[in-house]
Amino acid sequence: MEKRVTHQAGLNSGASRLEGAGIGLRAPHYRELLARGRCADWLEAHSENYFGDGGFDLHVLMRLRERYPISLHGVGLALGSAAGYSNAHLQKLAALVRRIEPALVSEHLCWGAVDGRVLNDLLPLPMTREALDLTCSRVAEMQDVLQRRVLIENVSSYVRFAGDDYDEAGFLNELARRSGCGILLDVNNLYVNQLNHGSDAAAQIDAISPRYVGEIHLAGHLVTELAVIDHHGARVSDAVWALYERAITHCGCVPTLIEWDTDVPELDVLIDEAATARQRCTAQRNRDVRAA
Amino acid sequence: MSAQLERIQADFAAALAGPAAADALLPALISDDARVLDRLALYRGNISAAWEKALANAYPVVRALVGGEFFSGLARAYGRAHPSVSGDLNRFGARFAEFIDQFEHTRSLPYLGDVAALEWRVHVAHYAADPVTLTRERIGALPPAELLTARFALHPACAWLRSRFPVASIWIAHQPQTTLGLPDSLDCSELALVVRPRWRVEVLSSSAGEIAALSRLGEGADLEEAITAGLQAEPEFAFPKALVRWLDYSVLVEPSAVVAS
Repeated sequence: MEKRVTHQAGLNSGASRLEGAGIGLRAPHYRELLARGRCADWLEAHSENYFGDGGFDLHVLMRLRERYPISLHGVGLALGSAAGYSNAHLQKLAALVRRIEPALVSEHLCWGAVDGRVLNDLLPLPMTREALDLTCSRVAEMQDVLQRRVLIENVSSYVRFAGDDYDEAGFLNELARRSGCGILLDVNNLYVNQLNHGSDAAAQIDAISPRYVGEIHLAGHLVTELAVIDHHGARVSDAVWALYERAITHCGCVPTLIEWDTDVPELDVLIDEAATARQRCTAQRNRDVRAA
Repeated sequence: MSAQLERIQADFAAALAGPAAADALLPALISDDARVLDRLALYRGNISAAWEKALANAYPVVRALVGGEFFSGLARAYGRAHPSVSGDLNRFGARFAEFIDQFEHTRSLPYLGDVAALEWRVHVAHYAADPVTLTRERIGALPPAELLTARFALHPACAWLRSRFPVASIWIAHQPQTTLGLPDSLDCSELALVVRPRWRVEVLSSSAGEIAALSRLGEGADLEEAITAGLQAEPEFAFPKALVRWLDYSVLVEPSAVVAS
C-alpha cells in the first residue's frame, strides 16, 4: 500500500489563513484588482497560468499575494492518469508553491493524459479500487514534493463508468483517509452530475466526512438538451445555493470560492456572488448559535 | 500497476481522437443512455476548444490573417498532427509554424509560417524571466576603454527571426495601438527583433548588423567583438544608435542576472 503521509501542519497553517469567500483570479480583472482596495477575502489562481519564469502574469500574482491570501488551484496535473503522468509538471508546481507560499493548494480528481499525449481536460475516473490506489499514491507523492497537505476536488462528468466500487463521496472519503489530503467539495459539480446521471447530490454531500472538507467551489452551469455543462459562465443557480446551505450545515463554513471562466463578467459580479456565499454562511452560523 | 485503468484511459483517448474508435470504450461505460456517444463528442469538442483557445492566445496575428473559421480548422488539424504534450496549455503550439509550413491548405500564404514563428517567440517572451536590466547610468559610468571590453547578457525575452517576408511589419500592423498599415509588398525580407522592455512584448524591425552584434553578445563576446561582427554583417551598422535602442528596450542585462534566473 501507499505510504501514509501526514501533512497536518501544512493544512492547519493554510486553512487558518483562508476564511470567508474568495473569487477566481482571471486576467481581465488584473488591473482592477491591482488598482482598488481589497474586495474579496482571498483569491484563487489557476497554477498553470503562472508557470512561466517571469513576465506580467506572475508579476501581478506576486503583487496581489501581498494583499490577499492566495489559493493555487491546478488544472493540469491529471493525477489519475495511469500512463503519461508528468513529474515535470509537479516540479513546476513545486517551484510556484515555493514562490507564492499559498494558503492552499488544490487539484482535481481526474485524469487527462495517455502515453505521449495530453488531453487537457478534467476527465472522469472510474470509481474503482484500482483508481483509488493510483490516486492515493499520486496524492501522497504530490504532498511529499510540495511538503504540504493538498485538497482534491470532485469533477463533473458527461459519462459514467460501469463497475464502480465507490460512489463519489465514498471515493473522496477513502482518498482523504488514506493519503491524508483534504477534500475540495465542488457543489455545482455534484449537482451537474445529478442532472447528467441521476445521482443524488444531497445524499453525496451528507455522505462526505465533514472533517476532510477544506474548501467549497461554487459556479454556474449550462443546461443543454444533451447534457448539463459545468461551464463556469453564469451565476450560481438556486438549486446549487440550496445544496451549498446543506453542505455548510454539514461541514461548517469552510472557505468558499466563486469560479467564473466563460464570458468572465465585471469584477463586481464575482464580488456580489461571494457576498451571497458569505451571507449564507453568516445565516448558517446564526442558526447554529440558536440551536446551541 | 493500474493495468485495467490504463486500458480504459487508452480506449477513452482513442474514442476522443476519433468517433470510429468509440466502440472499444463502450463496454466500460454505463451506456443505457442512448446519448453516450454524443456525450463523448462533448469531450471531443471541449478539448478542441481548449486547444483552439490556447493557439488563438499565442497566435492572434495568424488568426487575424486567416480568419476565425479557417483558424478553427487549422487548430484541429494541428492538434491531430501534434498532440498536446503538456498539462500547461501555454506550451501548446510550439510546432505550429513548422506545421503551417507543411500544411497543404496554407500554401497560398507562404509568409504565414514565419508569422507564426515570430508569434511563438513573442509568446515565449511574455513568460520569460524578469532580469535586472542594464541602465543608462551603469553604461554611462563606464570609462570608454572599459565599455569596449564589457560583457553583457541578453534579456531572456530577447529573440529574433530572419524571414524572406516582412514579418515584423506584418506583426506591427496588427497591434491594437498601431498607426502603421500592412507593408505594400510582401516581397521583401526582414529581420524581426523581439524585446520586452517591461511587461509588454514588442517586435522591432532589425538589421543584419544589429542581429550579428546581439548574436555575439549572447555568445558571451565583449562589446568590441560585437561591434566588429555588426560591421562585418552590415558596413553601415551604427553602434551608438544600436546601444541607445538596446537600453530603451531593455535588450541588455547584467550577465549575472541571467545565470540567476
